[in-house]
Amino acid sequence: SSRSSAAPPSERPGERRVAEMKKLYGKDSAKILAMEAAMQLTFDRNCDRKQPKYWPVIPLKL
Amino acid sequence: QRGWLHSGPLLWLQYVDKNVKLKVGKHEEHRGWLLTVDPVSASVVLVNFREDGASVRVVMGHAVEDVEVLQESDPETAERLRLFLLPPTTSSLDP
Amino acid sequence: SISTSAAEADAKELQREQRARSALRERFLRCLLTMTNKKVQFHMHEKVDVEATFGASDIDVLNFQVSDLHTPIGVQKEALIRCQDVISFTFDM
Repeated sequence: SSRSSAAPPSERPGERRVAEMKKLYGKDSAKILAMEAAMQLTFDRNCDRKQPKYWPVIPLKL
Repeated sequence: QRGWLHSGPLLWLQYVDKNVKLKVGKHEEHRGWLLTVDPVSASVVLVNFREDGASVRVVMGHAVEDVEVLQESDPETAERLRLFLLPPTTSSLDP
Repeated sequence: SISTSAAEADAKELQREQRARSALRERFLRCLLTMTNKKVQFHMHEKVDVEATFGASDIDVLNFQVSDLHTPIGVQKEALIRCQDVISFTFDM
């Protein structure tokens, strides 16, 4: 996206997300970030293993 | 009135633990205790307690037309809703 | 000064909003976790109703990964459902 390409090259990936999460969730951002990371990991792992296909093939609502 | 999607966390929080009537699309209506509103998708979680458990309905934020409070929260229901979310205890965690 | 107290008020307001957002989000994430491996009924646009076993959601709530999706024309073993297609979904605890 345009936002990530505008980031200085020295910035490590993930740093931006941590900063954004801090702005959104304040003191609790670390906890939310950890919960989200675990959930996304499960989602990605399941998709890798099971190779699910979209249903329906064509979106119902565009 | 601002749309539900853009109401924001402080407004959404005001509905938590209350009994609400949700207008969904043009013809649908759902009632229940509001467990939470996802601040990312504005999706609403409604809980209806039964004798042997509870039924849960999640309404996607984009489908929510209107939310109306039917009944204020009470400590007993708020506690039931809170317990509802606690991770189930597993035997592996027991000593 | 006036600007300092205004800035303090802004900071307080931001903190209130952050606390509200994290409380709401944590509850929602926990709710998604309790759905794992549960039978979920999806009520979708165009009056499409399907049942499936819930797997996981991505964190942006754009897709649900499900198994044993009972579609009107048969069972799809593994599927992704677009959240945009869904009006609501229900499950029992």
